Amino acid sequence: MIHVLIRRRIDEAKWLLAACSLAMVWFCWLRVWLVSRLDTGRFKEILDLLPSDWQRYTPVDFAWLITYEGRISLVYDELIVVGCVSVWAISRGSDCVSGELGRGTLEMLLAQPLSRRAVMLSQVGVTVTGAAILAFCAWFGTWCGIHTMSAKQVVTPSFQLPIPLPFVGSKIPIPFAEPETVYVPMIDLVDPSLYIPASVNLFAFGLMLAGFSTLMSSWDRYRWRTIGIVVGVYAIQIVVKLFGLSADELAWLRFLSAFTPYEPESVVQIAHQLPEFAWSFTMRQDDGTWIGYGPMCSHVIMASIGVFSYAVALRIFSRRDLPAPL
Amino acid sequence: MQRQTRNCFAAASLGGRLHKTVLAVKPRELVARRELRLQSKTRQASCGDIGLFVETHSLTKRYRRFTALDACSLGVEVGEVFGLLGPNGAGKTTLLRLLLGYLQPTSGRATIGGLDCQRQSVAARQLVSYLPGEARLYRGMRGRDVLRFLAEVRPGGDFRQALRFAERLDLELARRVAFMSTGMRQKLAFAATMSSDSPLVILDEPTANLDPSVRATVSEMIVEAKAAGRTVMFSSHVLSEVEEVCDRVAILRAGQCVHTQVIAELRRRHRLAASFVGEVPTVPDELADSLRISRGGHGELIIEADELSSSLRWLATLPVTEIRAEPIGLRSVYDKYHVNRDATA
Repeated sequence: MIHVLIRRRIDEAKWLLAACSLAMVWFCWLRVWLVSRLDTGRFKEILDLLPSDWQRYTPVDFAWLITYEGRISLVYDELIVVGCVSVWAISRGSDCVSGELGRGTLEMLLAQPLSRRAVMLSQVGVTVTGAAILAFCAWFGTWCGIHTMSAKQVVTPSFQLPIPLPFVGSKIPIPFAEPETVYVPMIDLVDPSLYIPASVNLFAFGLMLAGFSTLMSSWDRYRWRTIGIVVGVYAIQIVVKLFGLSADELAWLRFLSAFTPYEPESVVQIAHQLPEFAWSFTMRQDDGTWIGYGPMCSHVIMASIGVFSYAVALRIFSRRDLPAPL
Repeated sequence: MQRQTRNCFAAASLGGRLHKTVLAVKPRELVARRELRLQSKTRQASCGDIGLFVETHSLTKRYRRFTALDACSLGVEVGEVFGLLGPNGAGKTTLLRLLLGYLQPTSGRATIGGLDCQRQSVAARQLVSYLPGEARLYRGMRGRDVLRFLAEVRPGGDFRQALRFAERLDLELARRVAFMSTGMRQKLAFAATMSSDSPLVILDEPTANLDPSVRATVSEMIVEAKAAGRTVMFSSHVLSEVEEVCDRVAILRAGQCVHTQVIAELRRRHRLAASFVGEVPTVPDELADSLRISRGGHGELIIEADELSSSLRWLATLPVTEIRAEPIGLRSVYDKYHVNRDATA
């Protein structure tokens, strides 16, 4: 019975999921291609042009951001990637109760011997799995890009010595020769596994947003109103986060934004520079000195908000009156 | 969790038992027995005195200051076709939605097959097939897929039977729901509802949006369901079809169940319009209880008679110049609680 319901949910969601997944893979691959086309030096020049105040808007140093790892990590903050996950989470979450109520299909469904819990959990299962698939697609697109692209690098020609010399090595640069362009496989420069924590961060973000959308949907009867409320809260949360980042006096505002834990660049930087803390809740030096909260904290905060929202939504949906469709 | 599972089994076995009991008796015998039972109960008929398969006890639903259903108590017997009558907003749909657990009652309780409609909603719904007033189905699905889905999602759902019903209702199953007319969607949902083997069928205005020939088929299918021992509850605004298929009807007004009427009893009662020469006769004592006399237009006397033969025998002794006899019909009962009251108001 429940498997029939889940099959139905998959059927409803398949085209949106397919489109978002395709966009995700294609865009992440394209983004790695763009990174491979732009020389590190050129990117540094671009960053140097930015006012120093802009540093506060990124959770990582500009110095790390100009590396290949840093530049590729920016893909997780791109509009298309965040947008695809947001569209998926909001559309599926809002459909859960108010969408079905508005269409009138919930009435026919609950005329069958199905509990409200089963009806909601079938939706939740498909939505959460979809968010996980999208997060995987982001990583898979990046992985494909890293495996198929070569980075363009401008190097000074060197002379290879038969025997390496002390302090110099076996390669001696030829100072008067014209610099030449070489293509180095991206896989030699970047480890794709660095982006797994960022994908997990993206999944947790999707879970949080889907949970909140479902919560709003659980008490509402109009889907358009549910979407309006969720998008409104989304915008407010972004503005609160930006205000929190803009000035030190307003730093406390960051704790009021649920989007603060979504920091994929920071997560990738930790995986790159402090790999032992890639999956930890707290980061301390060997002598016990506090470094900061680990990436797992960010994942768990967002996932907890999502799970809590789902639990409240289930409680509301189980007890509410279901009005006749208009 | 364990308790819930036990309840589900209890509901399923109860449903099965009811079904088997009913099917073991021949339909005609069953109808005859029920007629006898109902006749005896009619004398004390008020809403809420009979109860076997569906029961409501002082069921009330309030939305802030608006009372949609007010202390409604009624009962529906196994194998009975029970009609719900009333104008829009009388509380018919609210009553049905409370039975299905869509709404939480403000007070009172409802049971289906002994199972509480709120606390054991899933188990209770296992005994019910429900057709909403305006059936909304998945618009992207084709008719055949809707029938398959609804047959698969319900234990005891029968896809082949649904196909047979669909054929009988002349449905085009290859068409997507989005491209079906309201009537076609209604027929599709009706076919799906009737195809399951649940012992209770609840139909909320099943013939609204249907053309007359399909209405007749729907009435036929309801009668067949009754003959198969299923209990049917349905609301409608079409008095003639309610009169045709129902064993008993409840009339609702402003959320209250104001009257229940056994249709068999109604069929026995007639209205006689007689014109006399001379004085108005005195009713004999032996007929006083079974006759109600009032004065109609054009100086006629209107006589409502429970027993037609004895009334006619008495009338034959009088100087009657003209006489017309017609069955009373549900209309006059309905009007008594709605039209006349509205006029008075």
